[in-house]
Amino acid sequence: MPRYAMVIDQRRCIGCMACVVACKRENNVPEEHYRTRVVEIVEGTFPKVRMELRPELCNHCKNAPCVYNCPTGASYKKEDGIVLVNKKRCVGCKACIAACPYDARFIDPRNGAAHKCTFCEHRIKEGKEPACVTTCLSRARIFGDLDDPQSIVSKICAEKHLRILIAEAGTKPSVYYLSLQPLT
Amino acid sequence: MKEIAITGANAITYPHLEIWNWAISIYLFLGGMVAGLMVLGAISQFRPSSTTDAGRPFVCYLAPVLSPILLSIGMFFIFLDLSRKLNAFWFYLNFNIMSPMSWGAWGVGLIIPLSTLWALASIPEEHRHYLRWPKLHDFSFKISAYRNKLAGVNLALGIFLGIYTGVLLSGYVARPLWNSAVLPLFFLNSGLVSGSAMIILIARNYQEKLYFTKLNIWLTTAEIVLVLLFYYSHLTSTAPHREALIPFFTAVLFAGIIFPIALELPVITARRPAPLRVHLIAVLILLGNLAIRVAFVYVGQLSSLSDIARR
Repeated sequence: MPRYAMVIDQRRCIGCMACVVACKRENNVPEEHYRTRVVEIVEGTFPKVRMELRPELCNHCKNAPCVYNCPTGASYKKEDGIVLVNKKRCVGCKACIAACPYDARFIDPRNGAAHKCTFCEHRIKEGKEPACVTTCLSRARIFGDLDDPQSIVSKICAEKHLRILIAEAGTKPSVYYLSLQPLT
Repeated sequence: MKEIAITGANAITYPHLEIWNWAISIYLFLGGMVAGLMVLGAISQFRPSSTTDAGRPFVCYLAPVLSPILLSIGMFFIFLDLSRKLNAFWFYLNFNIMSPMSWGAWGVGLIIPLSTLWALASIPEEHRHYLRWPKLHDFSFKISAYRNKLAGVNLALGIFLGIYTGVLLSGYVARPLWNSAVLPLFFLNSGLVSGSAMIILIARNYQEKLYFTKLNIWLTTAEIVLVLLFYYSHLTSTAPHREALIPFFTAVLFAGIIFPIALELPVITARRPAPLRVHLIAVLILLGNLAIRVAFVYVGQLSSLSDIARR
């Protein structure tokens, strides 16, 4: 069974937002809502200024608070590590939204169910990569199977020092960051 | 200087716009008040003077009757907040042991019928004729023999209800303001304060009102201690926990507790305080507790771990 993960190389991200657009187009994300976002943090005073570009999305956590806080079992984790929502079971209680430390979920105004990144599960089934990964022109997003030692993701994880977001939440995310400066 | 721009920002990036609104605040307030009514009503039932109908204080009748009614109103507000209302039955087709909301759904589902039974058992003989249906009248008579046992069960369920609303919020690591082990105890105590204030308003006997006013002062004193512990636990915790204690929240918390108790304290020393004054203080206590619940819900959602981590 594969164990999917994503590595985001912040050194390569140019903030073009193509991933945000591709995700919206691919997944028919409702108006004014997004499954992924790019956070630009500009720090310092001219001329000593630095910028961090940080694409953010659902972290598909191993220890997912959204899954264990869901009262109806609508949020669940697949064996391959992808966290999904069963819309038929979702009551729209918003417990998962409150529980997510990454603020990755929202309510789909069209049907009232919780909505989030699925790592483009439908594309993975067809052997393709998630839309944001395919479209990223600087190859800042890398997707693959951690259990496959030949995958690029596995090699990066083995060779580089990767970081995760909000490590103190103890969620064990499947999205890793490769950056020059330490992440907050 | 730090400047943050987010492309692809949902309302969730500003969660106070998205998660829970006033309806949840009202549910938490009513749930807490019902917990207080159940606990105080049951304790009053166990007092030696309550063995006969004549000796039982008014709270022994009205607390059980009000509990299922107020809780059902609270449940209505929860229902209003669900964005897929027709799927609500899924709460009862699944039990997730790790989800406080699942515990709450099943718990409230148990509390409403059991508190209704307690209400029927508590109706005194002279008022039983208000029950129009003969079968209900007979049933009320039969279960009145189990009044004390039902009070015991409702006492335990009242404590569960008061604590669970706090556990529901305190379990969210993502919201630093709520993420405190003191919160369940604070909510239980705050529920007892609301319950006693409600009893002050509804009690018929003047002495009963004064008794619960004095009890209310002790409970409010305990609430102040719990607030100080809540602040201490947050101030000695991580930076997001410290930053979550914004001044507005502090102002509401203290105004909701300190202002009513400041008015309430002279009531003890007065020889015979005016009933209007006692009632006014009870109303202020209820409003103060409602304001605290509203502040907890809204400010808790503002205190997002990811938002604070970006700063």
